[in-house]
Amino acid sequence: MRKNLYFLFFITGLLLTGCSSDDSNEITQPFVVAFENPSASFTTEEASKTIKLVFSESAPEDGTVFITYTGENAVYGEDFTTDPVSEEGTLNVAITKGSSALSFTINKLQNPMEGESMSLTFNLESVTIENSSLQGNTELAVSFTEAPATGGVIAAEVGGANEPNQVYVDLSSQTQVSAQRDSWDLGFYTGTNNRVILNGSIYMATAALDATDIDAISAADVSELQPAVAVGTFDATNTAYVDSPDGSLEGTALAEITASEDSKVYLLNLGYEVGTETAEAGSVEITGEHRGWKKIRITMSGSDYILQYADLDATEHEEITISKDELTDFTFFSFNTEEIVEVQPEKGKWDLNFTVFTNEIPGYGSYGYADFIVNNLQGGVHAYMVSTEDLSYEDYTIADLDETLFIEDQRGIGSNWRNGGGPGTLPSLKENVFFIVKDGDGNVYKLRFTALLSESNERGNPSFEYHKL
Amino acid sequence: MKQPTSLLLLLISILSISAQEKSIDTTKINTLKEVVVTGQINPQSVERSVFEVKVISRKDIDLQAGNNLADLLNQQLNINIIPNATTGKSGVQLFGLDARYFKVLIDNIPVINDEGLGNQTDLTQINLDDIERIEIVEGSMGVQYGADAVSGIVNIITKKSAEDNWEIRPYVQEETINDEYGFFDQGRHIQSVSIAHNINKELYANGVFTRNQFTGYSGDKLGENHNLNDGKRGYIWLPKDQFHAKALLNYSSEKINSFYKFEYFDETVSRYDSVVRMNYNPSTQTNNPTVSDEIFHSTRFVHHLNLNGPLAGLLNYDISISYQQQKRDVETYNYRINSEEKFDVASFEYESRKGFYSKGNFTNFIKDPKYGLQLGYEISEINGYASTLSGDYQGDYISRMLGSYDVFTSFEYSPGKRFSIRPGGRALFSSNFNPQLALSLSSKYSFANDLELRTVIGTAPRLPGYDELYTYFVDINHDVRGNENLQPEQGVSLFMHLKKPLKFTEGSLRLQNKLSAWYIDVRDRIELIIVNETPLAYQYRNIDTYRTWGLSYNNSVYYKNLRFNAGISYTGVSKVLNSDENYDDDYLYALQLNSSINYSIPAWKMVWSAYFKYNGPQYQFVQKQDNDNNTIIVRGKQDSYSWLDTSIKKSLLDNKLELTLGARNLLDITRVNTTATNGGAHTEAPSNVLLGYGRSYFLKLLYNLNI
Repeated sequence: MRKNLYFLFFITGLLLTGCSSDDSNEITQPFVVAFENPSASFTTEEASKTIKLVFSESAPEDGTVFITYTGENAVYGEDFTTDPVSEEGTLNVAITKGSSALSFTINKLQNPMEGESMSLTFNLESVTIENSSLQGNTELAVSFTEAPATGGVIAAEVGGANEPNQVYVDLSSQTQVSAQRDSWDLGFYTGTNNRVILNGSIYMATAALDATDIDAISAADVSELQPAVAVGTFDATNTAYVDSPDGSLEGTALAEITASEDSKVYLLNLGYEVGTETAEAGSVEITGEHRGWKKIRITMSGSDYILQYADLDATEHEEITISKDELTDFTFFSFNTEEIVEVQPEKGKWDLNFTVFTNEIPGYGSYGYADFIVNNLQGGVHAYMVSTEDLSYEDYTIADLDETLFIEDQRGIGSNWRNGGGPGTLPSLKENVFFIVKDGDGNVYKLRFTALLSESNERGNPSFEYHKL
Repeated sequence: MKQPTSLLLLLISILSISAQEKSIDTTKINTLKEVVVTGQINPQSVERSVFEVKVISRKDIDLQAGNNLADLLNQQLNINIIPNATTGKSGVQLFGLDARYFKVLIDNIPVINDEGLGNQTDLTQINLDDIERIEIVEGSMGVQYGADAVSGIVNIITKKSAEDNWEIRPYVQEETINDEYGFFDQGRHIQSVSIAHNINKELYANGVFTRNQFTGYSGDKLGENHNLNDGKRGYIWLPKDQFHAKALLNYSSEKINSFYKFEYFDETVSRYDSVVRMNYNPSTQTNNPTVSDEIFHSTRFVHHLNLNGPLAGLLNYDISISYQQQKRDVETYNYRINSEEKFDVASFEYESRKGFYSKGNFTNFIKDPKYGLQLGYEISEINGYASTLSGDYQGDYISRMLGSYDVFTSFEYSPGKRFSIRPGGRALFSSNFNPQLALSLSSKYSFANDLELRTVIGTAPRLPGYDELYTYFVDINHDVRGNENLQPEQGVSLFMHLKKPLKFTEGSLRLQNKLSAWYIDVRDRIELIIVNETPLAYQYRNIDTYRTWGLSYNNSVYYKNLRFNAGISYTGVSKVLNSDENYDDDYLYALQLNSSINYSIPAWKMVWSAYFKYNGPQYQFVQKQDNDNNTIIVRGKQDSYSWLDTSIKKSLLDNKLELTLGARNLLDITRVNTTATNGGAHTEAPSNVLLGYGRSYFLKLLYNLNI
């Protein structure tokens, strides 16, 4: 009997230790509604503006946000209206369960008088959702005259893990313009220097040949040279085949363009199409098919560039005249369309370019970088990095600005905003740095990156916040 | 919640129950001779074996209370267990060669895992509950065990008989993980039941069910719900939950012996990412942290049918037919920590091996005891699968069938009692590689004064793995490729063992000394090499040579109730790295010591034991950049460390209850500093290696119900 008792005891013990607790420690934090940006401004041409409000998480239930506003020289019905319609300085906007943002529209009925300012200030009053809080951008300043943004958030539309787009961001107007990476090949400088840049975002490379007659070059002449004229060959001297990564025009791979008869023919590696394969989580698939090779020769005719180009084995060549268009810093040409294409915004209308980039690792030569950020050197934009160990982003003020730290290099941000990763570790956001950016108009911003990846771990989803100092 | 005290409480309560008991009984003395089967033409005693077979007995397994094969092998000389914190697996390293060169067998046939058949075994997945003993043979055993048996093999022999009609053994084992323990949520919790039954004189059946739950070792990490990106999310040792179910039906008669064995194994390993994406929303000034986690789920099925016996007086046969599979699935998902919400959930097969295996041994052709002839075959057709997540492969996945069709023979000649010699050979035919040949020559000589000398020469090829064959990692900055034209590596080993048993018939003192020397040479070793300078490209090639030699000396003393063992091993390794521009093939030496002590007090029905192993500093040549940026070769060092385990086992209640209390890794080893690893292109060389999770205490309670 006793034996069986012990046996029973044993079995009970077995069952007891077989259980396991399943404790949950859900973190409850309040539901927050805020203006996406603290400021907005109308250009003279714009007739309406959509104002976006964002949530800290998807809305747990239906509800309403109550917003109040006050105007300066702005009267509802005369100078502006809103959609939904508002009454006596209050505006109610509905929240739908499960949504993560909402918006309302301000319609401008007339432009302010010259020299007069017209503005509205919106304030979040309350939200009907249980356990909610108002914090962050609870106030929005809307100017009916063009004014630089006081700050905001921008998610550059790089386009995901294939990073198909080069995105040009303008901080003061809070706008972005994008161009597909492989939509252009050569950029012809429109300033006084006669320089031509390669499209480093698709890993192009070029080498001068000892020839001045483009038709005399055949594939056999360059076959030995071809393996070296590429990015990422781990040859310290291959930087000669790509543009200087600092962005200086003196460092272009193609020598200064002249009218000389002795202008050399160049072998041109057209790099890679934008990748199409699905990248693994947290990783990128930058390159697709190789785009092949060309031979080119560029000369000047007055202030126009003359571009001769042909396939390697062709005995005849095409020729196109490219004039300097003073509106933009570069005039872009594509071998795909054999035409001039639009890529960059107008001069001075962009500050930062999110792009894939041909950089160099000293001692190892050129090296391809995803998630790169270039500041507009031609437009006088400069940047430098600050470590949060020295000063926090929140505490940084204009008094902390040190102009001497700005360098004459387009890589003021570069890849410094992320950790590089390696075998077994993927790149990740650097959370202990932020950047100071000074644009061509002298506006100084502090800028902090908030994401490298989407919530779903997809690369090519950068976003950042910035504040005007 | 860290409470090693609750384990203590449990112990005290159990001791107080047992204190009321008084009955005393003498333990049965096991007088059976140690019999080994590994590599033998017929099962025979250790002394008669031409091979040198090391045996870990059931008694040792029980005293160590190791919960898997990794715990047990860690105490063996020349063996190191290398845990992988990223995958949760633990592989063996024998003579410095990793798990790809070492085969794990159960009842003489290789056991499958998700990366191979026999080799690449994760030792933590091998449960010890139905095991009779473990046999270890060092050296290349290609003739007996085929490809990949280069550094050695371990053969696990399961129980196939019971003394009583019914033997029912439930047990529980509770372990702390370092100082982490909680009844439900922290520590290691094992529950097991084994049932053995003699159905009749000829039929025996048993079943074992074991659950082994390891809740992970956190150390300075803060678990899965930690929501800051400070590197502290997750675990240092991954949580692992295992379930084993095994069944065996054995039929023994004069004419035929047969058994059918079934095994089911199931494991869940959770990998919680330490990188937290904070997803800071500047507008609302809130975070909504997300992470990407992976839950691995492995299952293994093994069917093994064995038939053996004499055939019409002409010969003896021993045939095994087996179908085995192990599959590792993965569930990947993204997780919002604050709301505990999974999204982007995807489940798919990560890696698997499955297939048919058969081995046949035919012996006793010649009736003259001077001669022994063995003929055999070993065939397998294993389908393998590897997803792109498990490695960098071109396309979506790798799927291939590897067929191996081997025949082997060996011949033993024993002109007298003193001397025997046994040459052997195996031809290995494969669906994927050129035919290979493995050879062996073993001999044994007994001198007049009981001194035994064994010389064992053997060869074995090592087949290339998926990473070496199919890797494809090519982008703008990298070009690393596998090589489908790789050929197997060639291992050759020479072992000499000198053994001297000393028996003092007057007293109860017994001594045994063993001196071993060996040399192992692996040629055509596969390494990643630069095949093109501009652009830089890497590919796997058969290029390098690995050599190791060493000496070991082992002493066992048996005196009354004391058993003491001490061993020392001194090993040198030389690597010829033709794959590198710079290398140094000087021999680098390492020292290992091990010692164990068992002392039993029959009156108290107690056995105390301690196991100690010292692993001396290990050296390896590593490349460094000097001040002038030149690559230089320096001797890197991994610091020494020691394992110390101890336990007390006490029998209570008429030997019905067995209580084992012990401590593993008493010296609290977790990480060991090293400068002996090369860094990668993007990474600094790690400054330490993870070897253990620190000191842990365990309590095992086993109940013997014999009817």
